[in-house]
Amino acid sequence: MNCTGVRDRLAEHALGALPAREAASVDRHLGWCAACRKESGELSAASATLAFAVAPQAPGDGLDDRIVAAVREAVGRRDHRPATTPRRSRLVLVAAVAAMLAVLGTGWGAVMASRAARSDDAVLAEVIRSQSAIERFRDIINGLEFGDPEDQVFLGTLTPEAPGGGGGSALTLVSPSIIDMAIVLVNGVPGETRQHLPFSVRLRGEDGVLMVGRIERGGLDDSGAGTVMREFPDLEGYDTVIVRDANGDVVMSGSMQTRAVVASPTP
Amino acid sequence: MDGLLAGNDDAIRALYARYGRPIYSLGYRLLGTRESAEELTQDVFLTAWRKAARFDPTRGRLSTWLMTIAHNLAVDRLRRETGVSRPTLVLVDEVPDAPGLDEEAVLIERDAALRALSSLTEAERRLVGRAYFRGMTAREIAEADGIPLGTVKTRLRSAMIKVRKANEGKELL
Repeated sequence: MNCTGVRDRLAEHALGALPAREAASVDRHLGWCAACRKESGELSAASATLAFAVAPQAPGDGLDDRIVAAVREAVGRRDHRPATTPRRSRLVLVAAVAAMLAVLGTGWGAVMASRAARSDDAVLAEVIRSQSAIERFRDIINGLEFGDPEDQVFLGTLTPEAPGGGGGSALTLVSPSIIDMAIVLVNGVPGETRQHLPFSVRLRGEDGVLMVGRIERGGLDDSGAGTVMREFPDLEGYDTVIVRDANGDVVMSGSMQTRAVVASPTP
Repeated sequence: MDGLLAGNDDAIRALYARYGRPIYSLGYRLLGTRESAEELTQDVFLTAWRKAARFDPTRGRLSTWLMTIAHNLAVDRLRRETGVSRPTLVLVDEVPDAPGLDEEAVLIERDAALRALSSLTEAERRLVGRAYFRGMTAREIAEADGIPLGTVKTRLRSAMIKVRKANEGKELL
């Protein structure tokens, strides 16, 4: 959706009168367009004004106490979660990669095995060999280990700027209680495009742009595949992935359009 | 907001003292029952706690941020429960005030809101009311009223520009 289309919808967006799909599309645009975001902010402020026009009502006694108790309980749950140790977070990352590949049907076994063969990371190899990554990830997401019922998983497909320019997949885990993470996998990058390595992989959102990582020269295997991953304090609102080559030209990009909790993926 | 993030009792109570009633009133207006309005109010504070670190006062006012959270949660709930407990549409200026409930800051907000609404034509107020207070999409309004979708969109946009204009200068208060 371009700026004209978005601005035609901003009034409805501010009023909450857009269908969910259109609202999501507008939100994605607002994530990177400062001009539209400014107008949206003004209309949202106007819309919020309307909230004060309703006839005042007095809530029942004790609502403030119940709210204080609810927030304190939520704070307590957060504070008493086990700390995310490097090893644990590494396991989450590995499991998430495997889950993403499985969900996207990328042939996770072979791809992950080739990664492991080049890696000295014993944890990675162990998880892949046991082929329990999906279950681990699902357990994490479902809160059995250190997940949170409000964890959200976003998946996206990267499409090339030029036909035949490869493709890719991306996954972000957004959690209110554990560290967030982003994993981006590119594949099928053709030989001529590889001449322009290193690639930078970034996430764009309403709060700006974050670097996920770089794919260096030699960072792609024979099939033109490579992976970058990184942990972040907060990825909420970061919904666009952009891969640029060494010249700064966009190689591929995509939106995190699919929101899913990976309940029962099949490898 | 740091106090809210830390779950500090005093910070939560201070925020509730200022915004609890307007949030509850909006919830009651949209959802139609006291129970739903109280649940909504609690959900708004929990959401605000979770997102407190993301609130940027340079990008908007706290009241806008909180009421937007409240409205979004209420509309989501309203759409999930379409047809259930949906309140009868009553234009806001037809609803009598309950005297003695408001503090000064909220009164200022309410004055601004009523001033903004008074700048709209009857048709615009009706449309805005259906969109904002009933969670109806432009298409739903068009179908319900038997008027072209483009007309609804144009009128909503025109109305919101007027509200925005009436809202200018409130930031100085």
